[in-house]
Order: sequence, then C-alpha cells, then structure tokens
Amino acid sequence: MEELILTSIAIGIKSVIFIIGMFLLAAYLTWIERKFAGHVQQRPGPLHVGWHGLLQPIADALKVLTKEDIVPSGVDKVLFYLASLLAFVPAIMILAVVPFGQPVNLFGFEIKPYITDLNVGLILALAFGSISIYGVIFAGWASNSKYPMIGGLRKAAVLIGYEVALGFAMVGPIMQAGTFSLKGIVEAQQGLWFIIPNILGFVVILFAILAETGRTPFDVQEAEAELVSGYNTEYSAMKFGLFPLAEWYIATFVLSAIAVILFFGGWNGPHIFGPISPFVWFFLKLAMMFMFFLWVHWTLPRYRVDQITELAWKVMLPLSLLNILVVAIWIMIFG
Amino acid sequence: MDKMVKIKYLERPKLSNTERIFFLDFIKGMKVTIKNFFRKTITTAYPYEKLTPPKRFRGTHAHRVRDGKEPPSFNVLLQFMEIKEGESRCVACYMCQQACPVPTLFNIEAEQLPNGKKRVKRFDMNLLNCLYCGLCVDACPVDCIIMTDSYESAAYTRKDCTIHLDDMSERGFDFDKRRYNEPDRIWIDDEAREKLWGQIKWS
Repeated sequence: MEELILTSIAIGIKSVIFIIGMFLLAAYLTWIERKFAGHVQQRPGPLHVGWHGLLQPIADALKVLTKEDIVPSGVDKVLFYLASLLAFVPAIMILAVVPFGQPVNLFGFEIKPYITDLNVGLILALAFGSISIYGVIFAGWASNSKYPMIGGLRKAAVLIGYEVALGFAMVGPIMQAGTFSLKGIVEAQQGLWFIIPNILGFVVILFAILAETGRTPFDVQEAEAELVSGYNTEYSAMKFGLFPLAEWYIATFVLSAIAVILFFGGWNGPHIFGPISPFVWFFLKLAMMFMFFLWVHWTLPRYRVDQITELAWKVMLPLSLLNILVVAIWIMIFG
Repeated sequence: MDKMVKIKYLERPKLSNTERIFFLDFIKGMKVTIKNFFRKTITTAYPYEKLTPPKRFRGTHAHRVRDGKEPPSFNVLLQFMEIKEGESRCVACYMCQQACPVPTLFNIEAEQLPNGKKRVKRFDMNLLNCLYCGLCVDACPVDCIIMTDSYESAAYTRKDCTIHLDDMSERGFDFDKRRYNEPDRIWIDDEAREKLWGQIKWS
C-alpha cells in the first residue's frame, strides 16, 4: 500500500514536470518556427522583445491569455469548449509513453526519464494522436459556421486516409523489434537503426505526420486563402491559442519523437557527451526531425483535398504495405 | 468559322516518372529555401533604421521658396505678385489643380492687395485623396510644387492629413537645403542601401 502511494506521488510529480516542460518547450517551439520562417524568407523574425526576440513567446502568451474570450451565440457550447481541450489534452498525453532516455542513477535514486513503459505504448500513442484530431473535427462542427465546417470535414477526410497508412508504416519497426513498447523498440536498435530496411515506411511516416499535424502540404483544414482560418475561425483568446499549440507544436514534436524512436535509434549513439549523451543524442535527432518539418512547411504550397486523399490511398497505403513485405524478407534473411 | 479571338493552346507540362517517384520538385523547392535560410536578411529595423529614398521619390508635397534659383518664367510673373524672399513661389495659376486626376483635393485661394498685386492666401492639399502621381509637379510653371522624400504621412485625424501653405514651404526649404545639388536620379548613394542591395552598376 505504502509503495503504491509513493509510486503514484512519484508519477504525479513526473507528469507535472513533463506537462510544464512541454508547455515551455511548445512556447519556444513557436519562437523557433517564427525564426525559421523569417530566415527562409530573408527576414529576421521576432527581434525586439528580448535578445533576438527570445521573450516573444512570453509576450504572446500574455497577449493571448488577456484577450476577450468570445463565444458566438450560435455555437454548440459543450462541443465548442470540449473541442479546444480535445485537441490539446490527448496531444500532450502521448508524452506518457515517450521515453527520453535510459534510466539514470542520481543521488542514489533511479530516475526514469519517461512516465510509463507500457507494453502497448505505440498503440496508445497512435490512439491519442487520433483522438487529438477529433478536436479539430468537433471544432469545425460545433462552430456552426460554414468555413469551420468545411475545415473540419477536410480534416476528417485527411485523417481517414493517413491514419491507415500511419498504422501500417509503424508495423515494420514493430516486426523487427518484436514489441510495441517504445523503450523496447529503442533497445532493439543497438546495432543498426531501423531506417535501413524501413526507408519506405519512413517516407510514409513523414507524409502522415505532416498530414496529421496539418502542416503545409496538407494544411487544408485551415487553408487561410480559402477558409479564412478554417476550423478555428470562430475561436478567440486562449481557446484559439490552444489549437496551433496542440497541432503545430506539441503534436509535431511528439510525433517527431516517435519517428526518431522508430527509425533513428532513439537515444542510441556514441557515448561522447559523458553521462548525458543519451539525452543529447535524443534531443539532437528530435530537433533535426522537427526542423525538417518546419523546412517542408515553409517551402511547399498546399495540395488540393482530392490530391491529398489520392496520395494517401493510391501511394502511401501501398507503400506502407510494400514496406511490410520488404521488412519481412529482411527478417527472413538476416534474422 | 474564323474566330475573332485567337486562343493559343498550351500543353500542361507533365512530370516524368523519376520526378513523380522521388518528389524531385519538392527537393528543388527545399533547396531554394535552405539557400535562403543561410543568406543574410535584407530587411531594415524600420523605426530605428530608416532608408533615405532616392531624390525622385514621390513623397509628401512641398513648395519651393523664392531663393533666386527660379526659372525665367517666374521673374516675368513676379511683377504681378507679392512674394517676399523665402516665401512660397506659388503664383496661384491653378495649373496643378488642372492637371490633377482628383482636382477637388486642392483648395487654392488668392486675393488682390490694395496695391494691385496678387497674393496667395491659401494652398491646401487633402493628401487622403492624393494618389501621388506627380502630375502637379510636371504642370507647375514656376517649379514651385515638388514632391519630397518624406514618406511618413500618417496622422491621427483626417484633419491632420491636409497640408497647408506654411508647412509646405517649410518642407520645400528643408528638402532643397538637403538635396538640391544631388543629381536627379532614381537611386541613392546611401551606405545602408548599399549594404543591403549592393552597388547598382547600370547607367
């Protein structure tokens, strides 16, 4: 009994640390994105609030929190409030199963840099990722307005196409590791990273993450040139702020983490940074992955909805199935 | 049947299979953006860093003053006018208003003094209606109305967007003091500009 209470307290503290850390990180991911977008267009991005705009996220947070929160009279109130939370909470809950490194011994305590190590971790992450997208669809429905409605329906169409491909693309690494536990998958990549036979799966996962998080080639759900702002047109203040925070930053970050774990060996790497080298490697890979998504986002124009679904069903799904075949042959040959 | 309007039909460029499989156009685009990412930014930190526009820039209007550099036509008109040294050279000929696409933005009034001479009493321009085409500048027979390099013309009220005789001659005096001798051209030898866009070689 006493052990149960202690474990719950420890996990509670750890969760709070993870959530607060994720909030701060997401705030600064906005800064990174704005800087990146600026330099891609040969302008400096945020510059005046703090050194090179470093305090800009704090100023933005203050602004968005003190704005008037307008709820239009025609909306479905329950869903309208629920949608912003439904987009945000599951996205941050994926963190529960994402391991950031191996357990380390600090001052005699064993500190595990993950909340739990479930044996179905990957499935849980996939499930939470899908629920997070329901937030967008509900937001479109609850707003009772045509632009959010179209945005929500488009997101639903994209979701149906890419969830399938995403699930199948994850099968390759699972087959090789023989486990759904993300920690187990990383530990199975001590030698060769799973990118080698799974290159097709990796391509599918890249496209699927772009589609799931609504980043540019697939940002049809907000499509500012056509749909005003898409699903979040009727939202204001922090409820509005939660959507991009959840979709563009937390979801992209967490899904990048999963992609790194699945294909790039997680925290595996030469021990050249001493005891913290697993963390350094993991965050280095994660940062590269995130920057890659930013790079794609600020380069490409938007696909049409029919092209997106066509790509999902005609290209990505067959590719992910082909990937399973390739990995199966690889396992038969190399064991 | 012969069509009135001839239409030229063009084939849409087709992607080759290699381009389609490896997303080559994605890669092309991403090469461009990453090249730009490592380039120097070309912006200025505006309120703290202001570029001087070239001399031929069409900014807020101004009046040249009587300073002895007038064209000969002015000296002919001067015997009918009451204009002191350092005052606006305007002779109230209404040429600028005639040339203007929006003539109502001018409000020019002149009066006859007891000694029979003409004096300009009012010269207002409502810049809210102005489209900065510069036709008034071309029309002026005494080289009076000019356009300066001042471009910060925003104001808090509509009333403040109207410019008057006094501030126009003041602005013209200031502009001529700074840039009268500069050759009339469309670029400038500004260090800040050179730093940003490099030296302009042509002409």
